[in-house]
Amino acid sequence: MNVDTTLGGMTELLKPWTLMSRAVSDTRLEVETTPSGIVPAVGALKGAQWGFLSAITGLDHGAAAKADTGIAVKAMGDAAQNGGFEVLYHFCRGPSVLTFRVKLPREAPAVPTLSAVVPSALIYEKELAETFGVTIEGIPDRRRQFLSDDWPTNLYPMRKDFSPGSAEGIAQAAPVAPPVERRGTPGTFIVPIGPQHPALKEPGHFELTVDGEIVTHASIRLGYVHRGIEKGAEDRSWIHNIYLMERICGICSHIHSTAYVLGVEKLAGTAVPPRAQAIRTIFAEMERIHSHLLWLGVAAHEAGFDTLFMYSWRDRETIMDLLEEISGNRVNYSVNLLGGVKYDIDGKGADSLRRGLDFLEKRTRHYLQIVTSDESFLRRTRGVGAITFEQANLLGTVGPTARASGVSRDLRVEAPYMAYPDFPVKTVLDTRCDLEARFVVRINELFESYRLIHAMLAQLPPGDLAAALPRRVPEGEVISRVEAPRGELFYFIKSTGGVKPDRVKVRTPSLCNWAAVLSVAVGHKLADIPMIMVGIDPCFSCNDRSITVRRRGTEELWTWEELRRYGISYYGGEA
Amino acid sequence: MNVVLAIVAMLIFPGGLFVIVGSLAYEYVDRKLVARFQNRVGPRWFQPLADLVKLLVKEEIVPAGVNRGLFIWLPVAALAAAFTAALYIPMAGLAPTWGYRGDLVVTVYLLMMMTLCIGLAGANTADRFSLVGSTRALTQLFSYEAPFLLALLGPAIAAGTWRISEVNGYARESMWMIVTQPLGFLVALIGLMGKLELPPFDAPEAETEIVSGALTEYSGRGLAFFRLGRDVELLVGLTLISAFYLGGLANPLQFLLKTIGLLFITAALQSLFARLRIDQTVGLWWRAGAVLALVQLLILIGLKALGVHL
Amino acid sequence: MGKQLEGNVPGAFRSALDKAALWSRINSPWLVHFNSGSCNGCDIEILATLAPRYDLERFGVKLQGSPRHADVLICTGPVTRQARDRLLRTYEQMPAPKFVIAVGSCSISGGAFHGCYNIVGDVGDVIPVDVYIPGCPPRPEAIIDGVVQLLQKLKPPKAAPAASKDTGGTP
Repeated sequence: MNVDTTLGGMTELLKPWTLMSRAVSDTRLEVETTPSGIVPAVGALKGAQWGFLSAITGLDHGAAAKADTGIAVKAMGDAAQNGGFEVLYHFCRGPSVLTFRVKLPREAPAVPTLSAVVPSALIYEKELAETFGVTIEGIPDRRRQFLSDDWPTNLYPMRKDFSPGSAEGIAQAAPVAPPVERRGTPGTFIVPIGPQHPALKEPGHFELTVDGEIVTHASIRLGYVHRGIEKGAEDRSWIHNIYLMERICGICSHIHSTAYVLGVEKLAGTAVPPRAQAIRTIFAEMERIHSHLLWLGVAAHEAGFDTLFMYSWRDRETIMDLLEEISGNRVNYSVNLLGGVKYDIDGKGADSLRRGLDFLEKRTRHYLQIVTSDESFLRRTRGVGAITFEQANLLGTVGPTARASGVSRDLRVEAPYMAYPDFPVKTVLDTRCDLEARFVVRINELFESYRLIHAMLAQLPPGDLAAALPRRVPEGEVISRVEAPRGELFYFIKSTGGVKPDRVKVRTPSLCNWAAVLSVAVGHKLADIPMIMVGIDPCFSCNDRSITVRRRGTEELWTWEELRRYGISYYGGEA
Repeated sequence: MNVVLAIVAMLIFPGGLFVIVGSLAYEYVDRKLVARFQNRVGPRWFQPLADLVKLLVKEEIVPAGVNRGLFIWLPVAALAAAFTAALYIPMAGLAPTWGYRGDLVVTVYLLMMMTLCIGLAGANTADRFSLVGSTRALTQLFSYEAPFLLALLGPAIAAGTWRISEVNGYARESMWMIVTQPLGFLVALIGLMGKLELPPFDAPEAETEIVSGALTEYSGRGLAFFRLGRDVELLVGLTLISAFYLGGLANPLQFLLKTIGLLFITAALQSLFARLRIDQTVGLWWRAGAVLALVQLLILIGLKALGVHL
Repeated sequence: MGKQLEGNVPGAFRSALDKAALWSRINSPWLVHFNSGSCNGCDIEILATLAPRYDLERFGVKLQGSPRHADVLICTGPVTRQARDRLLRTYEQMPAPKFVIAVGSCSISGGAFHGCYNIVGDVGDVIPVDVYIPGCPPRPEAIIDGVVQLLQKLKPPKAAPAASKDTGGTP
């Protein structure tokens, strides 16, 4: 079937369900549709194999709550838009973004679920339901993902009439005591000790049902790191938000702030000086290096190879020193300003960088050799956790996880931003689809990063470090997509012309990859699960993740450490 | 031996105090070596002592639903067994405090007690006497204890005696048995590392949470006893293996050199083996290894019967 | 640092056993780590202190997997609603004597997330904290300093030194 896969072609294809369509730019198309039209429209899109669902953004156009942000509502030109909700479904293909917009009434907003057509939609729909109170009709699974189980049911934090202040009382109220299972004689209190005494039924981060050794069902429960950042962003000025976005993740803080400032600069129509873009790019690549080395050590630790963990983290100190030398901090380098960068890279800094990178390159060769030839390492990675090309596509995986399955998704290549148009990136692909491939891809990306930084240092454009931006950012909506170390990072930013943003939506890459992991987990041994999970390079902040393992009719609560040791000793190692 | 001397032997030298100090020292050497291999500075010399004392003064939490008596006394039994075993071996290169015909067999059983106690402790706390829990303990026993025993029997058969001091004497006079029974040496060393759960020779079976499960439940005194017991076993095991396979222990200097030498090898295996780790066939290899050790034993017996001396 | 007392302190006599116990606690602080919703920045710096360059094992610090084996709870993050109960339970599972180190600005006041709806903010509102280490994130050296400060806190208060002629400032 010869489908015109340009945005123009899609406009044609989606006509039956389109209320209104608008080409915002040559890479952005918006199609407004109804709640009943969204599922067939997406179905048509899937049929044409156009793109993947990257994010779902909820918007509250309610006028009433603008009061606490102190901004007068500017008429949007469409009276029907005021006071209602809107759901945006963003589908991405290379540099193009196709956004479906569905307007919903204020009382009883509801949309049908997409998860039958797009399985990865479930996580995003749950976020929408929990934070905006939009009912997702036909959703296969009603359990909460992001908000805690004891969060009050009719309180939707992302709605404009909810202010963080009103949450003060909730956050500090005595937590609802989870039901205590009493065993033994009545009146005895059970001390919750041991992996097999889940006296307090708290939600484990993961729930695995096993039959013997094989996993038959896997599900995830997020929310432990849910801080309420998107809401917080609406309460902070444009500049203040840079510092907030940086701290969404300490490992990839720069790429978060970069995605944010790039978006705001687009809204403001400011041209950023090329030197600033190059410096931003150098930092982005340095961050990728530190992130991949960090992951290598963590993955080694999960597999029980503590020596490799120690060595890779020792070598990682080199890049930490370099980051500190130029920016002044090891973590949260805070390079970005709205309109440019704060620091320059002078001759001395460039020399240190070059020397450091040469050292790291030698070490990286050594690691590549270990990862591809060490018998016991391969036993845990070769042929394990395979995500096929089709699965990777269907489930919307991104980043090195996708590239290790042959899916050529790399925003630096597909939609070059910052300095990438002048310093093109070579996509690192692997078609073996297994865990070993994920290791190899990340290590090869390290080589590519070293090369890029050398190239940029050799040809650093002269000029200013920053351009000026107005305090009030002109109104508009912008989508900012960048390639974080873990994959595509998606920002949607909306301004109503004030000193604070109206909406900042952040979709982190790990969120895309969980769906793939969970579906792949089924059919694998329990002992493989730690490695499979670490293979997508998840936010390792939840290192104290707990896992509920259901087997033989009983339910056990394991800690992550126990699962990790289980995997190691299963394969004949020391835990 | 009169009572006073006996008490001194049990409490101070070569038992009791000496064993405690020796074991802690060996734990230190082991951890320090591993750290150096991992390119770190590593612990201070008194670290194992600090760890021990800290655990002893820490609050002990007894999990609900376990047999309290077993919970408290199993670590004590394990440690006591290890201490007793120390009295039968040529500690510090001097003659064993006590000896009699067959004390080798007794010693091996005493060393086995540690694993049995840990296994039972795990069954007690984790599965509460469930069949699965005790099966795991038995699996652990067969994986490493049996081959270890076989490996110690080899030199005993060559020496023609079941008495440790006599095997030691025989070893001093003949060629080092690491040369004449290399397989036995390997099996003995790996068996010891497996018993002590030193990497990379953990049990080849999948479900070993019984051992780690047991220790997870303990805090304070119980944990201190189990940990100390493991250190004592390390010392005792190294002494036995060097005595039997490395040409006997005649004096304290030989004792130091040979046991520390072996310790160096185990530390190296622990850290460097991350690269050369035995793969999934470890289970099969191990059983094959144990079988081969058995075969070697049979050959020895046969040769002896034919009057050939090694 | 330990409190400074005037002159000799009668009654600060400790039996040898107590001294030994104290010595062992100061020299063998086993850590259990808990992330209550942090961005990972502090956590990776904590892990970096165990890596070869900083090597916390030199101080007898060992990272344990289970709270039952730990003496010190090292906590990061602004305590999200969901993490709060688990933090409490982790603390309760630790046998006495136990101590808490809160790492990072988030664990002091919520840090950059101050005012966000899903956080408690101060770890001290959930469990008693012995040492706060500020920073976003604090460097490994700062974390080590914080651990050492905790250990110093455990030591008995020393008698004030005899007044000397040339000291002018605070000792």
